Amino acid sequence: MTTPLLEIKNLHVTIEGKEILKGINLALEKGQVHALMGPNGSGKSTLSNVLMGHPKYQVTGGEVLYQGRDLASLKTDVRARAGLFLAFQYPTAIPGVSVVNFLRTAMKSRFGEAFQPKEFRKEFKAAMAQLGIEESFATRYVNDGFSGGEKKRHEVLQMALLKPELAVLDETDSGLDIDALRVVAEGINRLRGPQLGILLITHYQRLLSYVEPDVVHVMMDGQIIQSGGKELAHELEAKGYAPYETEKAPAP
Amino acid sequence: MDKIGALKGEAIRPAAWERFTALPWPSKTDEEWRRTDPAKVPLGEVELSPDPASLRVGWEEISPKLIASGVILTDLVSAKKQFPELIQEYLMKSGAPEGLAKFVALHEALFSQGLFCYVPEGVSVELPLRSWVEIAKDRAAVFPHGLIIVGEGAEATLVDERRAPGGVHGPIVSDEMVEIFLKAGSRLRYVHLQKWPPQVVELFTQRVLLEKDAHFLNLTMGLGSTLSKANVETTLTQTGARADLLGLFFGSGRQHFDFQTLQDHRAQATTSDLLYKSALKDDSDAVYRGLIRIARQAQKSDAYQANRNLLLSQGAKADSIPMLEILADDVRCTHGVAVGPVDEEQAFYLMSRGVPEAEAERLIVGGFFEQVIQRLKLKELEEGLMAQVSNKMNKGDPKE
Repeated sequence: MTTPLLEIKNLHVTIEGKEILKGINLALEKGQVHALMGPNGSGKSTLSNVLMGHPKYQVTGGEVLYQGRDLASLKTDVRARAGLFLAFQYPTAIPGVSVVNFLRTAMKSRFGEAFQPKEFRKEFKAAMAQLGIEESFATRYVNDGFSGGEKKRHEVLQMALLKPELAVLDETDSGLDIDALRVVAEGINRLRGPQLGILLITHYQRLLSYVEPDVVHVMMDGQIIQSGGKELAHELEAKGYAPYETEKAPAP
Repeated sequence: MDKIGALKGEAIRPAAWERFTALPWPSKTDEEWRRTDPAKVPLGEVELSPDPASLRVGWEEISPKLIASGVILTDLVSAKKQFPELIQEYLMKSGAPEGLAKFVALHEALFSQGLFCYVPEGVSVELPLRSWVEIAKDRAAVFPHGLIIVGEGAEATLVDERRAPGGVHGPIVSDEMVEIFLKAGSRLRYVHLQKWPPQVVELFTQRVLLEKDAHFLNLTMGLGSTLSKANVETTLTQTGARADLLGLFFGSGRQHFDFQTLQDHRAQATTSDLLYKSALKDDSDAVYRGLIRIARQAQKSDAYQANRNLLLSQGAKADSIPMLEILADDVRCTHGVAVGPVDEEQAFYLMSRGVPEAEAERLIVGGFFEQVIQRLKLKELEEGLMAQVSNKMNKGDPKE
């Protein structure tokens, strides 16, 4: 039996004393794409932040294993260098820091000795071109005054350059028009492969018609209440989350 | 202060000396000195003399073409001999400063050396001029005096550095004054780069007079010294004048910066835009007190003032005191202050890309200052100035 790329076991998480995640279980194998769907406030973004080690959240129970390794004691930057990546739903602006400077620093950190400064410009330009990003983007400040579409492309650009082994994409489809959605989806599909596991967090089914998931999970009120194949996403699209709301067991 | 009695009289300006001796030593109860202990100015421990050799003034040679067009870049002692009429017209003519009274009097009594820069009417100097003042004496008080005149419609950029490359034996008191005159329609970009060694306690006064439609773009960059108390006064004397006042301070160890600014609007339709930022490590601290003053006749004026402080450790501290004194009724005037630690979300974002915490902080601080430096709108300067910041950032950090 192989170790899953990501294994979440009975994960409980609170923020400011309020429990948001109430026993999440999930296992994701290398090369798989899992979609995590659920209504607003179900805890999807909390899960993505916890996976990346955001200091605001407290893990009060359970564990997260990445490549068999307990993430609890690892700081955010260590997780990232180990190949974990989070595409943020709302990327933070860092005024004064240019995209090119930021990405050079990030790649240097991620790849260490293997980072080749001479290749960087070329690789960076090629990755931008693939996502239809203009070159002038490089000198803009990170996420500062970016449009919704620019922010999401920038996240996928980083993912392409940092070559993660597990990518968590938090609502990367939100706020995109259909053309931007297609570009972003193509970007994700290009990276898809046996070396990469993807957890695709989304509210809607529409991204899933471009990036087809192997497994779909439905999350409600801090728990995964159903998992299944890609047909589950279509079902959700047709019926919405309402049937789950009523099925939900009363609080113990 | 026994040493003062032993001064040789000839090079001293007696009226100023009398003013200096008559004024009381600043008290901690004076509003101006409430946040900077006057006892930390070790005037009694240093030699007081008007000796021009206590300073070395240097500059990058200017082209023969510029010399032919009348541009002058030299030291004050030489300028007094070669251009007495300019000295007569401008030296100590920028008006009485409103702060640091005792130290201004002392400066006035004893200064003899400094930088002299003159750009005649209509001349545009393309490349940045570069000058520096160095301390050439140990355990001394030094009195750099800068005099910069930009003629009508003239344009220039001057990067003026304070340093002591060979090091000094302290304590040192630098009691400096810079006077700047911008004639009608002129434009000056002036970067004052303070990199004094840690033995230096600095008192710094800058007086700037702007005439009609003149534009002053100023960056005061404080990196060095152990204590720096400054008073930067900008007077917009005629219609249409504009001043962009930028400040950048980076403290470490127990460094203390105390900056007072005056945006003095005396004529209609004048504009001033001030942004002072400090990042403070270790136990360093910064005080900012800024006054916007708009005279009754200065209608349609526009004044802005912002002070932002980034605290990089528990021990760092910043005080920010904005003040307004507005006598005209048809003006636009805004101010804002901020004091706080590195933004947690920014740090998290960078770390989520593998950037270690210390490096993330360096990026954020670099960005914080980059936003100031880019307002100089001169690419070739920006990189060099950012390198000064990085240099300080890296040097001060403990080995990982």
